[in-house]
Amino acid sequence: MSIAPVQERQSETADLAEPATPWITLVWNDPVNLMSYVTYVFQSYFNYPRAKAEKLMMDVHTLGKAVVSNGSREEMERDAMAMQGYGLWATFEKDE
Amino acid sequence: MARAFKRKGELFVAKLDAAERAVIAGLLDQTRALLAPAESLTDTGDPFADLVASLGPDFGSSFTGEDHEHRRADPDPERDPALDRLLPDAHRGDPAIAAEFRRLTEQDLRRRKSDNLARASAVLRAAETERVALPKPDAEALLVALTDTRLLLAERLGIQTESDVEAVEGVVARVPDHPLAYAVAVYDFLTWLQDSLAGALMGRRHFG
Repeated sequence: MSIAPVQERQSETADLAEPATPWITLVWNDPVNLMSYVTYVFQSYFNYPRAKAEKLMMDVHTLGKAVVSNGSREEMERDAMAMQGYGLWATFEKDE
Repeated sequence: MARAFKRKGELFVAKLDAAERAVIAGLLDQTRALLAPAESLTDTGDPFADLVASLGPDFGSSFTGEDHEHRRADPDPERDPALDRLLPDAHRGDPAIAAEFRRLTEQDLRRRKSDNLARASAVLRAAETERVALPKPDAEALLVALTDTRLLLAERLGIQTESDVEAVEGVVARVPDHPLAYAVAVYDFLTWLQDSLAGALMGRRHFG
């Protein structure tokens, strides 16, 4: 599952800089984090509209996880760190 | 009797009596002690302050046979598992990336969480009446601090999954003088309080 845009795969050459394949930040379900709180975090950190924040929260709650952002690896590390700062169970990975 | 948070103008207002404020502040301090172990915490004289410490890492583990493998690729036997609940591996599948991220972020995250918990605790201890009225930055500090504190309590209670919540609640419902009953009641109280604060901050009294 991914909300990342489809990108053309660049030719893979070992010595080239990392291709612009987006990375993603995931938030995983946890029995401690409240639906209200998770929605609040998505709204206040990502500035997502209420409806999008609630949709992502429900995905976390019902599907076990949701992709909450995508971008460069550096950006995803920053988002994952921010989510952990809020106490959410966040990971980042390369979008395959 | 406590009353949940509501927005009143620019403030977020709850009613918490002195004992309730002391319990919450004591638990925030305990969570801070876990996250910032190098700093010595002054004795609060609070009868509830050692609740979390008294539970210990394995107190609730009888409820679940779960280990922490899914949260930590390279578990350190000396490390309190609650730390991995508060700061889980940020990459699944590549322990090297997870370790690198931890090396780069853990101290900063621990300091930020610790500072935030200190702020929230100070705000509660500063309240002189049962009316706790917080400006938004303090309300947000308390909201996040309550999350870290509930994560720690949940870890001590052996709550890893939704079904663990039901298991623990079921046990204390059947055995009212169960040693976990007080901690479960406190956990439920913090859940209720945090839910009301999140709802108030989002401009809705009740969520969902």
